[in-house]
Amino acid sequence: MPHEPDQFQQDGVGNALKNDVKMTAKVHIMQQERDPLNLAGLPPVSSPADDWPVIEAALRKHNSRKRIVVLAGSTLAIAATVILAVGVFVYRPYGIPAGTAGSPPLQATQVTPVSSDGLPPNPLDSFIALSQKLESNLRKIRSQAGVMPTSSVIYQVELEDLVVQVDEELSMRPDSMNLWSQRINLMLDLSQLYQNELRREYHEMASL
Amino acid sequence: MSQSPFAIELDEMTLARARRGDMGACEQIYRKFQQPAYSVALRICRCPELSRDVTQEAFITAFGKIRQFRGDAPFWGWLRRVVVNHSISALRKLPRDDAVELQEFHAHSDGDHERIGLSMDLESALSTLNREDRAVVWLHDVEGYNHREIAGLFGKTESFSKTRLSRARAKLRAVLECRTNRTNFSKMESATR
Repeated sequence: MPHEPDQFQQDGVGNALKNDVKMTAKVHIMQQERDPLNLAGLPPVSSPADDWPVIEAALRKHNSRKRIVVLAGSTLAIAATVILAVGVFVYRPYGIPAGTAGSPPLQATQVTPVSSDGLPPNPLDSFIALSQKLESNLRKIRSQAGVMPTSSVIYQVELEDLVVQVDEELSMRPDSMNLWSQRINLMLDLSQLYQNELRREYHEMASL
Repeated sequence: MSQSPFAIELDEMTLARARRGDMGACEQIYRKFQQPAYSVALRICRCPELSRDVTQEAFITAFGKIRQFRGDAPFWGWLRRVVVNHSISALRKLPRDDAVELQEFHAHSDGDHERIGLSMDLESALSTLNREDRAVVWLHDVEGYNHREIAGLFGKTESFSKTRLSRARAKLRAVLECRTNRTNFSKMESATR
């Protein structure tokens, strides 16, 4: 039968059309049930005036107020850190932790990540591994560091704030090499800060 | 089925920029959604001035909290919820209802009947409903809210929403029927002359 495929095709199209008509009718009935008075047919109404300038002004005011609150919060955080640091100094006058002077300085080249399959590591994985390594080292040094001078505390808080910001960005773009590299640099800066502090403490102790 | 007038898609880029506090992106969003936002506020509150205030407040709230939008549903649905919440809240603050009751409508003089009858269409039929009935019928029939959602908005039970909806529809039908009868009567009168 030479015409068989065409007939099949026609039947297919016919069925599709029938289904389409059925579906349209069904949707129409549902719409009628949902909105029997056809209120949705009423034309939309526009505001008599452009209110964007009012909204924009309010948003700018809101944003500047938010910035002031954040600034005040940061100042309070710094103050709290200084108080905490002084508190630690008062309660730990003789508490020089063991191994303070002997800790080796941190170096980025200490970490050489190798992938499990022996292939050259993906640069992103290397960055992540280095960042993790630096973070764990930082945690160790931090537990050994004593009191910091106010200038260092401010610097430390700023650096930690930046790490938090980079982490927020990373949660949205976890594959960004640039962000991971920023994070590593910040970790190195923080490590440097603590290392200097440990060195200063060591010299103070040595001079006694 | 016809969608809510709010159902306008927003591109990811504009949304991301608005989240970062970009005023240009916020303005784009405002321009896109200003009309449906004002429309829904006006249908619920009825008063144009109040509706403008409600729309402004709703946009300020939405842009202030845009970081809280999780993106697991369309943006327009989230924004509509903000506008509807503001509208219902404004409605609650208004003094007792001043809607034209159907009984009052019938009690008026013939001249009034003629005047009202001539200008009566669906829009003015809506204005005869009290505020809560109007809000319920609009949210259900046009915006597609279900009874549970409406009950939640008003802090009442689902049967409140069902009762209000059926009462509002009955009232609207009666007003529209009355208008149709008047029009037919006028046509018959002019034909006999």
